[in-house]
Amino acid sequence: MQSLRWAWGYIRKYKMRMFFGLALVLLVSTLNMANPYLAGRIVDDVIYGNNRSLLWPMLGLMVGCTVIRTIVRYGYQLMFENISQNVIFKMRENLFERLMGLDFSFYDRTKTGDIMARMTGDMEAIRHFTAWTIYMIVENVTIFIFAVTFMFSIHVPLTLAILVVTPIIGFFAFRLSNDVKPTFTEIRNQFAKLNSVVQENISGNRVVKAFAKENYEIEKFSNENETFRARNLQSARIWEKYLPVLDSLAGVLTVVMILTGGIMVINGSLTIGELVMFNSLIWALNNPIRSAGWLINDVQRFIASAEKVEELLLTKSQIINGNHQNVQEKQADIEFDHVYFSYGNGPALEDISFTAKPGQTIAIIGPTGSGKSTLVHLLNRFYDVTEGAIYVGGRNVKEWHLHQLRSSMGMVMQDIFLFSDTIEGNIAYGSPNASIEAVQIAAGQAEAHEFIASLPDGYDTIVGERGVGLSGGQKQRIALARALLKNPKVLILDDTTSSVDMETEERIQKTLNSIQEGKTCFIIAHRISSVKEADLILVLNNGRIIERGTHDQLLMQRGYYYNVFQNQYGNFDIHLMAGM
Amino acid sequence: MARNKFNVDEELETPFSIAHLKRLLVYVKPYKTKIMITVLIMLAASGANLIGPYLIKQAIDKEIPGKNIEGLAALSGIYLVALTVTGICMKFRIRMMSQIGHSVIKNIRRDLFTHLQKLSFSFFDSRPHGKILVRVVNYVNSLSDLLSNGLINLITDLFSLLVIIGFMFSINAKLTLFAMAGFPILALIIFLIKNAQRKAWQNLSNKQSNLNAYIHESINGIKVTQAFVREEENKKIFHGVSNGYKTSWLKAVRVHFLLWPAIENISVLTVTLIYVLGVGMIGNGITVGALVAFVGYIWMFWTPLANIGNFYNAIINASAYLERIFEMMDEKPEISDRPNAKELPIIKGKVEFDNVVFGYETTTRNLNQISFKANPGESIAIVGPTGAGKTTIVSLLSRFYDIGSGEIRIDDMNIETVTISSLRKQMGVMLQDPFIFSGTIIDNIRYGRLDASDEEVIAAAKAVQAHPFISQLKQGYYTEVNERGSVLSNGQRQLISFARALLADPKILILDEATSSIDTETELALQKGLETLLAGRTSFIIAHRLSTIQNASKILYIDKGMILEEGTHDELIRLRGLYWKLYSSYYSSLRAI
Ligand SMILES: Nc1ncnc2c1ncn2[C@@H]1O[C@H](COP(=O)(O)OP(=O)(O)OP(=O)(O)O)[C@@H](O)[C@H]1O
Ligand SMILES: Nc1ncnc2c1ncn2[C@@H]1O[C@H](COP(=O)(O)OP(=O)(O)OP(=O)(O)O)[C@@H](O)[C@H]1O
Ligand SMILES: [Mg+2]
Ligand SMILES: [Mg+2]
Repeated sequence: MQSLRWAWGYIRKYKMRMFFGLALVLLVSTLNMANPYLAGRIVDDVIYGNNRSLLWPMLGLMVGCTVIRTIVRYGYQLMFENISQNVIFKMRENLFERLMGLDFSFYDRTKTGDIMARMTGDMEAIRHFTAWTIYMIVENVTIFIFAVTFMFSIHVPLTLAILVVTPIIGFFAFRLSNDVKPTFTEIRNQFAKLNSVVQENISGNRVVKAFAKENYEIEKFSNENETFRARNLQSARIWEKYLPVLDSLAGVLTVVMILTGGIMVINGSLTIGELVMFNSLIWALNNPIRSAGWLINDVQRFIASAEKVEELLLTKSQIINGNHQNVQEKQADIEFDHVYFSYGNGPALEDISFTAKPGQTIAIIGPTGSGKSTLVHLLNRFYDVTEGAIYVGGRNVKEWHLHQLRSSMGMVMQDIFLFSDTIEGNIAYGSPNASIEAVQIAAGQAEAHEFIASLPDGYDTIVGERGVGLSGGQKQRIALARALLKNPKVLILDDTTSSVDMETEERIQKTLNSIQEGKTCFIIAHRISSVKEADLILVLNNGRIIERGTHDQLLMQRGYYYNVFQNQYGNFDIHLMAGM
Repeated sequence: MARNKFNVDEELETPFSIAHLKRLLVYVKPYKTKIMITVLIMLAASGANLIGPYLIKQAIDKEIPGKNIEGLAALSGIYLVALTVTGICMKFRIRMMSQIGHSVIKNIRRDLFTHLQKLSFSFFDSRPHGKILVRVVNYVNSLSDLLSNGLINLITDLFSLLVIIGFMFSINAKLTLFAMAGFPILALIIFLIKNAQRKAWQNLSNKQSNLNAYIHESINGIKVTQAFVREEENKKIFHGVSNGYKTSWLKAVRVHFLLWPAIENISVLTVTLIYVLGVGMIGNGITVGALVAFVGYIWMFWTPLANIGNFYNAIINASAYLERIFEMMDEKPEISDRPNAKELPIIKGKVEFDNVVFGYETTTRNLNQISFKANPGESIAIVGPTGAGKTTIVSLLSRFYDIGSGEIRIDDMNIETVTISSLRKQMGVMLQDPFIFSGTIIDNIRYGRLDASDEEVIAAAKAVQAHPFISQLKQGYYTEVNERGSVLSNGQRQLISFARALLADPKILILDEATSSIDTETELALQKGLETLLAGRTSFIIAHRLSTIQNASKILYIDKGMILEEGTHDELIRLRGLYWKLYSSYYSSLRAI
């Protein structure tokens, strides 16, 4: 019921058209009566009554009704398709909008295949429902009601006798509805799993091949594939239990009709013509009852899917948008004030405090898993701090409008993601209106122009999913260009040059220095060469800042940083430098 | 090989032909006994069904005018029995239909997936993954209607058509012939709309694929989208893609729905014809009751016909998916075992590149005349600027791509002459882009060697210094990670895929920037442990941090796809060439200090 109400929220907009469509359905149902009625009249008046002159008008009516009926029916079928496509379109758009707005922690815990299942399989079930099931239900119900009314108008006692069977039918229909629902939920859940296992196999295809694990993958897949079949069969088990019962009970109506009707004719309380008319109307009771079982299945399938879609639509982002929108010069001022953060299982960051002024570079260094990426993710409000506060431009990040906040920052994430689009499209991702010249300048700053220009298709080269077709360092530089093109006030480089050779890195750093005026720059790196120029170096360990200062200060402290330096440069043979 | 994007329709290489249907029948064949039995049962059911009008005719023509209540009751009894039979048959049919339909779907999907595993990188690299996914999952599902309902209905409908025609003949042959006058007209109409219908459905399947691709990529790239505040722009794009789907859907149904009005109108016209003729024939070769029965049959006669029309529509619809499915099944793997390929015996680990030339595309040349030799147990470091071709060299070793000319030999065997799986099973590869599967950490490491015990997994994790952080997690090795390893930091992901490569216990170990995101301390600790682990293995190490590779047996300096320098660290330093320059630049930045 809840799902129906939810769907109604979308359909409501097409209420008028829907009602008009339903009126047409009614019209068609009425016209549906025409043929059997006319057939009855032909039998009664023309054949038995020998009134031949009526034959042609009646046949003409029959053809006319059919032509009108099929045209109207075609019309409302398209109309319902139209409505359902619009409804689905809107739902899909809302879903997409929701997906765009959901926070990182949602994506951390949700599988792509699961979301895909909702966007495809579940939407398909909903489409089927709005395009087909709804009007089938209405059509069947109206046909049924009409036939019953019509029958009452012919002969009340016989109609009553026929209807005696219906409560039993209702009982079985109810049972079916109850039993079949969970099986549809299981089918769609398994569909999501199937989606996930295939999805992951495709994205992990390199690893699968590298380890020659094709057979293992096939086995893993076959399990889910087989379960999917089993879930479907399990559902069919329920249908096979109830649908035949409903079907046979529908036939029982006919038996009741011919038996009681026949007796009534023999008694003289009914004419043979009336019985024939009943006979030609009885399908209008049979068919809706026959369809009822299938329609109940459809409804339950719809509910199983709608619940999932609705659930996704109701998922709230934990990041609540602020409303401060002023474009401020000071946006490059950053302050961490006793920041604590946890992903939910133990602290990831503890008591982080520091400030950064425009033009400054803050470097972060520290062991794997110490919380470096986490720290910069807080800046963009990908996650919210657990305790303490972060100020950007003197204002708590929570007060900023997210778009404003994030627009001012250019981030190169550690796990580079490029879209399957042209290189130009990828660099211009954050500034879709940028000119090709601007794109080239940004590429040049990121030391990427040269290699892009050397590609056969240059900036129009299409890269594959996640940037396949490019080397590791090339991907990083394109991601860097993408961030630079935004001309951000805060530039965040998370391990951006790890796959770039020293010489290229050095050139990049020079360029960055030259454009840094007024920008705050965060650099996460493991190489001393990448961080040594920074105005402030933070050494993170286990989520805490254990050392801070400039390169020289830190070397003097002889702590963690000093050790790293020794490891990287300690055994360098200084004499080699002679002659350089 | 032009890459495909989400907003570009894929070209169809093998358009639909009747051969596709034959191929579909191959999947149905194993179930032919089941189908036969079901058809027989359905025949019984339609017999029982068809008896209805006959019984009613008997009642109206004979029993009721004859005021024979007992006869009427007997007829009703027979009717009830017939209904029970129909019910039982229906139960059986539902069971059989779903079994056959879902088994066929399962088998098609299995074959498609199995074939997918044989396809090379270039297949996956040349199109959005969402477009592959949609074929395996959604397209195959679209066949279910056709298979589970269509096929058996078709057969039974054909039979009931015959039976009805038989009944009609038994009543009056001449009228029956007239009743079939509608067939040719129907055939003509079907022929006329066929092309438009095909094109519309094809177009739709393309749009569905595009939509899927866009959704898929949007989910995967969501973090970038949010970081770059691209949400609004993407919504606009999505609006366009989604609208494309909607429009082509509506176009398709517009043609699709034409069939039924055609059938109904033709049917009513034939009925009219029969009335006219029949009424004229009353008393003149036909009784009133017979005419009533005949007309009853002729209405019934069009129901299976409409169903067959439905089936036809379903096939036209499904062919748009079938052709895509079979196209993928026919996709030739670029890399496959040669017909006489041998198993690669357990190797010692000697590797030779002999004048290897390679380009990712026919028009480009990414590696030029690469020749070098690695003896068993040696460690070869590959250095050079970004984009030089380092990753390319090692991926040729696993035969991820076939080379243009030259030869790659392992233990003096050309790798193209051995089976791919025997080759790859002896290598442990750590790819530059670490991939983590959803599941537990322990399963992820175990992916390297499925029969490894927990202890072995932990040993591998310890060797790469992953043990400390894993054991700090609440569920330790049994911590669930999501796809691509959210929950883990990048360095942690690298360590896990490193452990995975090591666990494979390979004779040849390939580490492509295995430690680029790992801090120096961990790296050093790792290297110490690694020395023993590398003993007896030939290893290839790619790194930009030169401190990592100084002890290598041999260093190859690569640029622009060529080996420019080759030798040990000391030799190359003495050479004062490119490696020396690279090495110095590594430190020169510190000169000021
Ligand atoms: N989405 C997440 N959910 C739960 N835990 C997480 C998540 N992301 C990271 N962690 C954990 O938080 C800690 C810090 O991770 P973070 O990515 O910030 O490390 P890092 O310092 O950037 O490391 P690296 O140098 O390897 O990139 C790690 O222990 C990691 O396992
Ligand atoms: N799948 C592919 N299709 C087409 N070209 C490719 C593909 N993969 C890499 N290339 C190109 O081949 C060249 C060599 O790339 P490769 O990945 O071998 O570089 P690399 O030396 O590993 O660089 P890095 O240090 O940046 O990882 C690059 O110019 C790259 O653009
Ligand atoms: Mg990180
Ligand atoms: Mg590489």
